[in-house]
Amino acid sequence: MFLTKLALKNLARHRNRTLITASIIAFAVFFYLLLDSLIGGMTEMSYEMIINYEAGHLQVVTEEYWEEEEKLPLKNLITPEPELMAVVKNVPGYLGSSAELNFQAMVSNGVNELPVIGRGINPQDFSGVINLTDYFVEGEMFHAGERRAFGVSPAVIGKRLADLLKVQTGDYLTLLVKDKHETFNTIELEITGVIYTGNPLVNEGLVYIPLDVAQEALAVGDQVSKVLVRLENKNRAPGVAKELAGQLQAVNPQLAVYSWDQLEAVTVAGAKQMGNRLIMTIILLIAAIAIINTVILAALERMEEIGMMKAMGLQTKEVIYTFVLESTGIGVLGGILGVLLGLAGVGVFTVVGLDFSGIIDMAPYGIPVVGTIYGVWNPFSFVTVFAFGVIVSLFSSILPAYWAADKDPIKAIYPR
Amino acid sequence: MALLEMRGLTKIYDQGKIEVPALRGIDLTVEKGEFTTIFGPSGSGKTTLLNLIGCLDRPTAGTIIFDGQELGGLDKKDLAMIRRHHVGFVFQSYNLIPVLTAYENVEFAIRLVNKYDKKEIRERVMRILEAVGLAGLENRKPNELSGGQKQRVAIARALVKEPKLVLADEPSANLDSKTSEEVLQVMAKMNRELGTTFIFSTHDPLVMEYARRLIEIRDGQVAKDQRRE
Repeated sequence: MFLTKLALKNLARHRNRTLITASIIAFAVFFYLLLDSLIGGMTEMSYEMIINYEAGHLQVVTEEYWEEEEKLPLKNLITPEPELMAVVKNVPGYLGSSAELNFQAMVSNGVNELPVIGRGINPQDFSGVINLTDYFVEGEMFHAGERRAFGVSPAVIGKRLADLLKVQTGDYLTLLVKDKHETFNTIELEITGVIYTGNPLVNEGLVYIPLDVAQEALAVGDQVSKVLVRLENKNRAPGVAKELAGQLQAVNPQLAVYSWDQLEAVTVAGAKQMGNRLIMTIILLIAAIAIINTVILAALERMEEIGMMKAMGLQTKEVIYTFVLESTGIGVLGGILGVLLGLAGVGVFTVVGLDFSGIIDMAPYGIPVVGTIYGVWNPFSFVTVFAFGVIVSLFSSILPAYWAADKDPIKAIYPR
Repeated sequence: MALLEMRGLTKIYDQGKIEVPALRGIDLTVEKGEFTTIFGPSGSGKTTLLNLIGCLDRPTAGTIIFDGQELGGLDKKDLAMIRRHHVGFVFQSYNLIPVLTAYENVEFAIRLVNKYDKKEIRERVMRILEAVGLAGLENRKPNELSGGQKQRVAIARALVKEPKLVLADEPSANLDSKTSEEVLQVMAKMNRELGTTFIFSTHDPLVMEYARRLIEIRDGQVAKDQRRE
């Protein structure tokens, strides 16, 4: 008890040093919480991007197609029969569904060719799952059954693709495709709209055309790659996916249902987050170094005192205890300060957000930042970073404290 | 009755390629209640001898029997326990803990012994502070005390647990002659009243004046051992 009292008094003894070290820890904790909130916000945004621009909440496909999806095959497709769609529309929280046909293609403006993904959609159904209305920078989405003169099909492309091909609304493009029988075919397109989203794939790699045009050009009849489903709540998607998969067994046993969190892109986003956490760990290591530095300074300064304590009969472990308790005290102080700052910072961050749009356009790099990023609250992070700050302070002080406490008492008393 | 018996006490410091002998086979017996001064020129081995007696160091050869117990076979922890319960130290530079008041510095030593309750601790601390002439100054921190007052706190800290032995290494070195005398009087009084054994290491003739036994150390050996009434 007396050693505890002594440790606490020592905390106040070097107020400036205690405050500086605690401030470093507080800053590390605060910075961690802000970064965590930002990354959480960005991850959430990237999930929303995937859901809103690519995948919806659920995807109904055949298992074989799902396994080979990256190749965009024209086999193992599904037919969105009324019976199937009726089951889909009956799932809890259903908002909309859209059948789409994805295929590989080369798009040409007559001079240059670029590889793209073609996506045949029914615009009316599509808008029930993926709403691009707010992202048109030119023109608009084509309408169901819309055709241009001479059998030319309407199309919507991303802004970066339009820039690369130097085309705009009203210009013509040609899609070169291989149909189901490996025969080359072309689709003449007139651009009816140009969109710009936070999703790089949509911006530069996708060409939307009417579903029936795609089906005809690819000779797949009325088949589609998949049916996307939008629900009221994304968090319910995994459960609904299981339920729907069970119900669809009666319609077509080959059908499978995958929720948005099973997409590869989501897994990649999660992996990026791991990398970011590594950076945050480095921040906390800086706090650990600050603690080690403080303990060593304190020990050097108090060498004669340590020697006296040992002469009085204190054991090494008791001297270590006082130093470790002091450091832990600094960790607690820094942690509390950091959490308080974090509460304020994240609070502002979630309400006001951080506007990156004026600074740099990150969309081309796959970072889903369009306009303002809002932070997210993560109470778990507050608890863990506080605990981690205290634990780091505790453990990082053990070794220097041992170094100080294990000194020969004579050398400590007579350091000269 | 002997408190300390030293036989063939040798200490050699290994400084890389050179071995420096500090003590060369000292034979000494110190009786309980003695007020002894060890003196001699710098580098003669006084402090080394004090460190060995105080269980702060181990001899290269020879034996020390402290109150009937041979110290040679004891580990670090056992030696720390002997220091904690039976030995008090007074150093030239006081070595008080700056964040603690005079009272708390003394209290620290008695709390380590862990055999008195709260009330008894308070009584003992106050009594010893009064005995060394620090009544009314118990709440002052070391930086609010003069050199003499600090040394009195150090003496009180060494004595409060009623040790069998107090070792004082140059206790008057940082004090003026008047304060030195006061401090020595305090220690002599404690020696008389409590029967505590005191061993000093010093150059100071004043300290020697107070001693009832003078041991001169030269070149790591006892050159003279003189008792006075």
